[in-house]
Amino acid sequence: MSEPTGVIHDIGYQRYTGPRLGRRQVFGALWLHGLRTIFGLGRSAKAKIFPWLVIGIVTLVAAGLTAVRSQTGQVVMTYAQFADAMSWLVIFFAAVAAPELVSRDLRSGVLPLYFSRPLPRGDYALAKLLALATGLWLLLGGPQLVMFLGAAFATGEGLTGVRDELFDLLPGLLYAGLWAVVFASVGLLVASLTGKRAFAAGGVVAVFLMTTPIVGVLSILPSRTVNELALLASPSTLVQGVGLFTLGDQMAPAGAADEMIGDFGPVYALGAVLLVAACVALLLLRYRKVAAR
Amino acid sequence: MSTVTWITARGLFGRRRFLMLLPLPAVLVGLAVLCRSLGVDPAEWGPPVLVGLGLAVVLPVVSLVVGTGVLGAEIDDGTVVHVLTKPLPRWQIVLPKLAVATGVSAATIAVPIVVAGVLADSVRLGVALAAASALGALAYSALFLALSLVTRRPVLLGLVYVLIWEGLLGRFVSGTKVLSVQQWVIALADRLAPTDLLTGAVSVPVAAVLTALVAVGFTALAIDRLRSFSVAGETS
Repeated sequence: MSEPTGVIHDIGYQRYTGPRLGRRQVFGALWLHGLRTIFGLGRSAKAKIFPWLVIGIVTLVAAGLTAVRSQTGQVVMTYAQFADAMSWLVIFFAAVAAPELVSRDLRSGVLPLYFSRPLPRGDYALAKLLALATGLWLLLGGPQLVMFLGAAFATGEGLTGVRDELFDLLPGLLYAGLWAVVFASVGLLVASLTGKRAFAAGGVVAVFLMTTPIVGVLSILPSRTVNELALLASPSTLVQGVGLFTLGDQMAPAGAADEMIGDFGPVYALGAVLLVAACVALLLLRYRKVAAR
Repeated sequence: MSTVTWITARGLFGRRRFLMLLPLPAVLVGLAVLCRSLGVDPAEWGPPVLVGLGLAVVLPVVSLVVGTGVLGAEIDDGTVVHVLTKPLPRWQIVLPKLAVATGVSAATIAVPIVVAGVLADSVRLGVALAAASALGALAYSALFLALSLVTRRPVLLGLVYVLIWEGLLGRFVSGTKVLSVQQWVIALADRLAPTDLLTGAVSVPVAAVLTALVAVGFTALAIDRLRSFSVAGETS
């Protein structure tokens, strides 16, 4: 019996002795990565086409509105109305971004790698949700800022004019945030159901488009109460209902809000909160199931 | 019935996700029944339900998911190679797939739209809507099938057409309506059963010619693209 001749060479592997970052940093990294994914940063040129197409259109519209306003002095759209008018583009943007965020991970089966980190299952879903909401908010908020800058430089009343404009902008930004949160939670929930990006995109659009005509039908039914509650039926009109309730004259001419939602303003606010809460709860449930696989 | 037809049909129906398409027609029928039972004037609920939901949402979305799915799903997971390596002329691959896509989309939209059309006006309107939307399904399916061969992201490009071109621009810029399948379907249905519920923005001959042109043209494009098709990985 011969002696074993093999030796294990010391080739200088070293242990990591530096600080180990915790849950918050993992969450932050995942959020930032999600945000970059949405806009196609750090990815191929093909991945940038659709997000930046939408951003281009939205910014172009904002620039056009600003130009019209500085030439004629008329406010064509307030900041909140701008968010409403862009709703189809926001839907499309959500349909582009949400599958990129969650469907790819489902399809390529990398979730076990994520969950082998000090990252609770819920945090993964919440980081993606936060990233999508941030992305949608930037999509609406950026052009609003363009409109604000245009209006601020064109104002003839010096600093008071700028200040008034700023007080118009801030509720507009908050309203854009509401759009972002509602659309992100619904869109991400639908996208997380399938690993195929094509189906996820179709599903997101179908949910938003299918519910809009329901509002149209409910608002012509012969019951005043149903008419005033009709906007609850679709996520996008639900957001508009909350806007009519909270922003009032920024959204529509005086009296129109009363006509459309009556005294049900608080119901709309409650409806929006419930919708977001339900979507987030279902999303967390979904990832509990996916992670268990 | 060729083998390709059989494979395609099984690929569509064999998956559970096909059930995701069913809520769309169900909502259409549900709303029509609701309006009818509450006695709302058809002139008021007809346009939002028939056009706003049926022709503007259910028809394009179903055609988009099915039309890009018949070939796109196989391209995505790479199994299209098995079909391409068989000694089949390319048209014998494209045409059966187009037929299945058109048939499935047309059937999915026909059932609810006949019900809604009958409830709104008459049997004639229902049948006219179903026939016109079958032609629309053919045009949409040819378009989306060709898209799935031209680009790696057919669904998103199709959504750009449906949402931005037909939806957004169609409302604000009336000139784009000439090149909108949705408007052709409305024009054809209105010609087959003249009512006050539908108002076409395009003349009937233009609609008929353009529908045929799109169906034939994009099918030819798809066959041509499949001739020199390269199988590549998923886009990053």
